[in-house]
Amino acid sequence: MNQLLEDKIKALRSKKIEQTKEKIRVEGILDEDDYGRVVPPANSWNIIPNHEDGSFYGFDAWTENFCNLMEVHPVYVDTNDAFAGRWMYFMSKMKKNKWNPAYPYDDLKPNIEKYNIICGIGEDAHFAPDFQIGLTLGWDGLIQKIERYKQINNTPEQLHFYDLHIRGIQAVQGWIQRHIDKMEEMHASEEDEATRQHLKEMIETNLWVKNHPPRTLREACQWIIWYHLASRTYNRDGAGGQIDALLQPYYEKDMAEGRITDEIAVYYLACFLINDPIYWQLGGPDKDGNDQTSRISFLILEAADKINTSLNLTVRVYDGLNKDLLRKSVEYLIKNKNGWPRFSGDKALVSGFMKNGYSAELARQRIAVGCNWMSLPGLEYTLNDLVKVNIAKVFEVAYQEMLQQETYSTSLLWEIFNKHLAIAVQTAGDGIRHHLKYQKYNEPELILNLLSHGPIEKGCDVSDGGATYYNLSIDGAGLAIAADSFAALEQRIEKEKKLSWETVIDAVASNYTCEGGEIVRHVLKNSEHYGTEGSIGEKWAMQIRDLFVDLVKGQSAGNYLFIPGFFSWANTIEFGEKVQATPNGRKAGEPIAHGANPVPGFATDGASLALASSIAKIQPGYGNTAPMQWELDPTFAKENHIEIIEAIIKTHVELGGTLINVNIMDKETVLAAHKNPAAYPELVVRVTGFTAYFSMLSPKFRQLVVDRLLEN
Amino acid sequence: MKGCNMRCKWCHNPETWLAKSQMQYIEEKCIHCQTCLISCSKQAIEVVDGRISIDYSRCSACGTCAENCPTKALSMVGETISTNELLGRIEKDIPYFRTSEGGITLSGGEPLQQKEFVKEFMKLCREKEIHIAIETNLSASWETIEELLPLVNLWMCDLKLYDTDKHQHWTGIGNESILQNIRKMGERKIPMIVRTPVIPRVNDTEEEIEKICRFLAPFADSISYELLGFHTLGFQKYESLGMPNELKEEEGLSKERLNALKQILIKYHFIS
Repeated sequence: MNQLLEDKIKALRSKKIEQTKEKIRVEGILDEDDYGRVVPPANSWNIIPNHEDGSFYGFDAWTENFCNLMEVHPVYVDTNDAFAGRWMYFMSKMKKNKWNPAYPYDDLKPNIEKYNIICGIGEDAHFAPDFQIGLTLGWDGLIQKIERYKQINNTPEQLHFYDLHIRGIQAVQGWIQRHIDKMEEMHASEEDEATRQHLKEMIETNLWVKNHPPRTLREACQWIIWYHLASRTYNRDGAGGQIDALLQPYYEKDMAEGRITDEIAVYYLACFLINDPIYWQLGGPDKDGNDQTSRISFLILEAADKINTSLNLTVRVYDGLNKDLLRKSVEYLIKNKNGWPRFSGDKALVSGFMKNGYSAELARQRIAVGCNWMSLPGLEYTLNDLVKVNIAKVFEVAYQEMLQQETYSTSLLWEIFNKHLAIAVQTAGDGIRHHLKYQKYNEPELILNLLSHGPIEKGCDVSDGGATYYNLSIDGAGLAIAADSFAALEQRIEKEKKLSWETVIDAVASNYTCEGGEIVRHVLKNSEHYGTEGSIGEKWAMQIRDLFVDLVKGQSAGNYLFIPGFFSWANTIEFGEKVQATPNGRKAGEPIAHGANPVPGFATDGASLALASSIAKIQPGYGNTAPMQWELDPTFAKENHIEIIEAIIKTHVELGGTLINVNIMDKETVLAAHKNPAAYPELVVRVTGFTAYFSMLSPKFRQLVVDRLLEN
Repeated sequence: MKGCNMRCKWCHNPETWLAKSQMQYIEEKCIHCQTCLISCSKQAIEVVDGRISIDYSRCSACGTCAENCPTKALSMVGETISTNELLGRIEKDIPYFRTSEGGITLSGGEPLQQKEFVKEFMKLCREKEIHIAIETNLSASWETIEELLPLVNLWMCDLKLYDTDKHQHWTGIGNESILQNIRKMGERKIPMIVRTPVIPRVNDTEEEIEKICRFLAPFADSISYELLGFHTLGFQKYESLGMPNELKEEEGLSKERLNALKQILIKYHFIS
């Protein structure tokens, strides 16, 4: 790459680090993704409430707030960047309340509390737009589409629905225009000829994409950026798409017409990726099973390598995947040790999703575009990654109820656990149904509606019947805690008779602080864990998995199809804080195990293979994931082990794995950064499905990362 | 595989010397609950200055203390297992062997010390189409090796020193049969990797490495040759097994020294 472009990318990277520092300084910690957001000027905009509680709800208020913000949202132009725009305001987080109090769910709250359920009521986004719609139509084309459907769906309510969407689009166009104005101003006063030329190109690009569908790679990237920034601003939407397939025609046309070189394409792509760590998928089959890898797939990886910040690229692994793309991906994973890319497993995802009654063609289109989740771009509404049942808490409730009985046994405990897990899943399902019924009065999807197949065509919100499919997600968290607890009780009390029920009950009740409690804790802790093939822990994990899957599937009715998964996202700490000591030797308040992962320290030897095999086996099996969170030792994650690491990825996928998140952390660096986070602003860790700057995480979360590292 | 006919003073797997089970104590895992004191019928465990002390001369390695240890600070090293049981344990990894073009490596100790087991186990692996490698010191009869030739896909052999007397001094046995077997393997063009662990003050001289290179050079078309730098990662094991470590003050071999010695391998075209 020529030095000028290299320098521009370097400058963008440095600026990104400064922006991260600024975010920490001004806003403090954040146990979430980086999102590419930058800090807004102080006191520059605030929400316009439409409710006495100080918040805003419903279509009109959301549109009003969004359009108002677009009118004043600061412009962002950097002459090192090929593209204009950054987002600054977490509109949805600036609201006081998440849910419109006019639609209470007080009847569900006791069980939500009891089973520590994250119910998803009032949550937004978490399904994928179809960028192809926007790239084909452009902003004006979207308005024309709406105008067309106004003629068909013309009740007053529908006409109002359409008008609000047109207002939303025009607000975005206004925002783009203000960027153009700014760039023209800069252009007029710029003395450096190269910078003037760069600004001129930026102006031309934006003048076109403000109204028309993009024609070139640069325009396509800028169009996606504008849509995405608007959607982020609206409600933090972060779903991407099959980025190589989306951009391939523009790249090939530009190349054929001599408009760009690969070098320039990489520069554009680097600017595109640094704009926001959106979840993009690379490679994998198209709907007919043909690999979507093309030259631009490699260029995207190259661009990612150039910026090497927080990134959420996923490579879709399947038999037909271009072998060089997989190898290149693993090479970058090892080289940069920055948690990217991730790897999704096509075989199990497709066959699992088909079990819901869908075709292979449709299943192949359900791609990795979120933290733990897959989505059919533009076709489904899902509440992915938003509804979670803390299985460890359900175990605790069941365990406490068993203690009220006259005799104790794991079979009795299992019976009680069945009952409570059923109530917990029912509560989660009821919450989702409540959300679907009233979300349009709370937080309609003004921006995501535009790139969905259905809402505009039908004249109703995506949450309100607008989507083509409703594949609703309920995830289980803390599986390993419950499985290992059952296993420890069965092994140590019932099988070996090493401990008595009374001893264990006393020890657990005292949080293992009673006399001899620590010994009891270790005896329980060292029983047969989930994560070891053929162990008692594994037996219980499978049993819980089967029960959970049946219960979630059992929620399906009518158009609403429920799909189970196992994932804890970043909730391992808060879930753990709600759970007292458990019989697997875990102390009160300690974090629960991560997603479908076994409890750290589950294996003393061959841990990577045991982990890959166990998680492949525990998959819920209907197209949603139980990701493998793989903490890879940097002494192993070296160039001479690339083939082995690739083999483990391929085998996990072959055995039924759905998603692999890899974290390669150097112990010394992480420990030093834990002591002095500010000194390591560049250190990125893959916390779960998302990557985050270590320095931005809360001390508790940093501690969790450190503990995970030490225990592995 | 447990049991070795050599006693290399730098060995980083001392737990594989004896062909019987041994009791291992890892102090870092110990919570000093003294459960082991009660469970030991030989009175081999006592508390000295607040720390667990094991009298290995009394310990019969019966495993009772390890079984009762809540933290696994005490554990047994080594177990008796049948070939079918062992196959059962590795079968779960066959999918990984397929994608990595990998397989199993029989190592030790010295696997050829358990020839019959090795042969039977290799046959079982062959039936499952598992790639078989063996790490051996080759100090066995040629007949033993010849029997295994059709079963092994890859041979790996350590040649620690060329000089027989020095070999006797540092490993406990001479190297006549080793050199003879390497020669025969070379003459038969059997693919093999020969490695020399480079140990400071034992064989870390140009002279020693050159001798081995000269010996191996005629067979370079089938035998490859590598140097392994000495490290101290296994030293903790001596302590945990109550075994004396004659080289405990020794430090690892520097990268610079290893790279300097590799120049000789370059000269003989073993590496480029």
